[in-house]
Amino acid sequence: MATVEFRNLVKRYGSVEVVHGINLSINDGEFLVLVGPSGCGKSTSLRMLAGLEDVTAGEILIGEAEVNEVEPRDRDIAMVFQDYALYPHMSVYDNMAFSLLYRKTPKAEIRERVMETAEILGLTPLLDRRPKQLSGGQRQRVAMGRAIVRKPQVFLFDEPLSNLDAKLRASMRLEIKKLHRSLGVTTVYVTHDQIEAMTLADRVVVMNGGNIDQIGSPEEVYHAPRTLFVAGFIGSPTMNLLPARSNGNSTLSVAGQTLNVASRFTPPDEDRDLVFGIRPEDITLSAEDASGSEIEGLIDVVEALGPDTLVFVNVGEQHLIARVNPDIHPVTGQPVRLNFNIEKSHLFDARSGEALS
Amino acid sequence: MTRLFRLKRNRELAFVWALLIPALIIYLFYRVIPLLWNVVLSFSFWAPGKPLEFAGLYHYEEMVFFDDGFWIALKNTGVFMLATPVAISLALALALLVDQKIRGRNIYRTLIFLPYPMMVVAVGIVWRWLYNDSVGLINYGLRTFGIISEPIAFLESYRFAMISVMAAAIWQIVGFFMIIILTGLQNIPPHLHEAALIDGARAHHRFWRITLPLLRPSLFLCVILGVIASFTSFDLIYTMTGGGPGRETELLITYIYKASFTLSQFDYAAAMTVVMFALFLTLATIANRLSGGDAGKVDITD
Ligand SMILES: Nc1ncnc2c1ncn2[C@@H]1O[C@H](COP(=O)(O)OP(=O)(O)O)[C@@H](O)[C@H]1O
Ligand SMILES: [Mg+2]
Repeated sequence: MATVEFRNLVKRYGSVEVVHGINLSINDGEFLVLVGPSGCGKSTSLRMLAGLEDVTAGEILIGEAEVNEVEPRDRDIAMVFQDYALYPHMSVYDNMAFSLLYRKTPKAEIRERVMETAEILGLTPLLDRRPKQLSGGQRQRVAMGRAIVRKPQVFLFDEPLSNLDAKLRASMRLEIKKLHRSLGVTTVYVTHDQIEAMTLADRVVVMNGGNIDQIGSPEEVYHAPRTLFVAGFIGSPTMNLLPARSNGNSTLSVAGQTLNVASRFTPPDEDRDLVFGIRPEDITLSAEDASGSEIEGLIDVVEALGPDTLVFVNVGEQHLIARVNPDIHPVTGQPVRLNFNIEKSHLFDARSGEALS
Repeated sequence: MTRLFRLKRNRELAFVWALLIPALIIYLFYRVIPLLWNVVLSFSFWAPGKPLEFAGLYHYEEMVFFDDGFWIALKNTGVFMLATPVAISLALALALLVDQKIRGRNIYRTLIFLPYPMMVVAVGIVWRWLYNDSVGLINYGLRTFGIISEPIAFLESYRFAMISVMAAAIWQIVGFFMIIILTGLQNIPPHLHEAALIDGARAHHRFWRITLPLLRPSLFLCVILGVIASFTSFDLIYTMTGGGPGRETELLITYIYKASFTLSQFDYAAAMTVVMFALFLTLATIANRLSGGDAGKVDITD
């Protein structure tokens, strides 16, 4: 086990910079998830940590040691790839034993460790099969087994569940979480799926266009997004983000209506573009104007999901989503009042994207 | 009739056959019938204009027990076949080289491939000139650098004729093998190399344990093409040496040609052709076994 640190890490391909000097410090035994949309530089960062890509500038440390120039095989890491990268011409056993062959492990110990790992992952009956003869989920397990058997300092995962169907993904997610708890190995996990990030991570790192926007616990990035990007990326359905302007008297002008936000923040005095954010579950439908924290709209679509109901509401030009109690039965086309839980709302500077609250 | 065509399956089948039949007819007349005729001929006495007479194993006995020309041609074909492993090794090395991210690799690929589509007769003539003892470039080079003092008539020399012909054959086919192997290399997912890199395998481990096993289908294809080429390299031998000096570069194919078209022993030539075909089948089967069956197929998932 070891700590991992990125210091001003930069990656350029030719003249194109794709990672812009990121700083990150990962604790020993921590499960850290890098999350962000496709192309934001997650894989590139992970591959630099693995030693598969050269570092353009900055430093990577594993434990106390700088590893910029260290060969992948000497970094004591194991990696699980999105396509699993199993050796197609080798049996499951040989796939798992492969990495031990080149570490001067005695034959008997190789056997023991492979059998032990196979037992943990339920692969024992499959040891003689070739990857082609396995289902997607089984291949995924073999890929994990190949990583675990090494007992490395750090586990690296690059979108390991993306090729599985939704149900299998949920169960593997749980299993990865349990494995991490029992092995306690420092883990860096890359995904574009914010649900995976939220459920697996001790800490989430939200990346955006080659920068880190926020580092924090799943609760922090959900409840206190530091940028507009994080607010829009984390959560499903996404946070409602509405253009707003300050009226100068603790009220905001949102979608042509006035909203009293005094209980949460004092909007800036000067006249600049703002964005008001509220999550769907922090909106209720109400009958009468009570607190001034309401706006009016027209119900567009109603989606009953079972545990709760999504109501799509048009407010002028804007579209909002509210997640409401399934006992309420809103009627499409009817006018409605949206009551915002102002305590849980967010305010951002539209230009810089920074949170103001 | 209309009922027959009402079923979708039958209509599709009719369409398939309609497309196949022209090709099958040509195949029948140019391949199947001559092949069968060849087999029949090998068990008969026959000359143009004479009636066909049953000969049993006469030609085969003649070939095996009395014709040392056949045995020499067979031995030479075996030697000539050694060009295949040499060409494959060279092609593998070249493919690994031009698979690197080097500047101008497409130019190298093209240059190495270029000889393959050239007409063999032209290649033979060019090489004959290169090997020539008085005006040839090779002799000129060797003498300029003082490696030899007297010119060597490569193609007329018992010592050098076979190896010279083989060098020309390798030169022509190596580019083709390289392209086949290069395609095989590029079918290996790069993640496999990266996984092996992290797993601690050094370059030579990765070559033996990952690259080579996954190239099996490509290498198998090269072996088969090489064996076929050794059995059919008529044009190259004919333009370069005509089988000489003496019988030094006489291959089965040139010997068969001479038996039929110079000596008009069509029945005897047919028997040798049958033997050659049997040899090819045997070699192909062995190659298939050695490459793990199924033409060396490996299932690369995803
Ligand atoms: N080998 C490469 N050459 C040039 N650009 C690359 C290369 N690999 C990745 N990129 C670019 O770097 C950016 C980040 O890629 P990546 O780290 O793979 O993103 P992701 O967050 O989806 O994993 C992308 O814009 C991608 O196009
Ligand atoms: Mg990626």
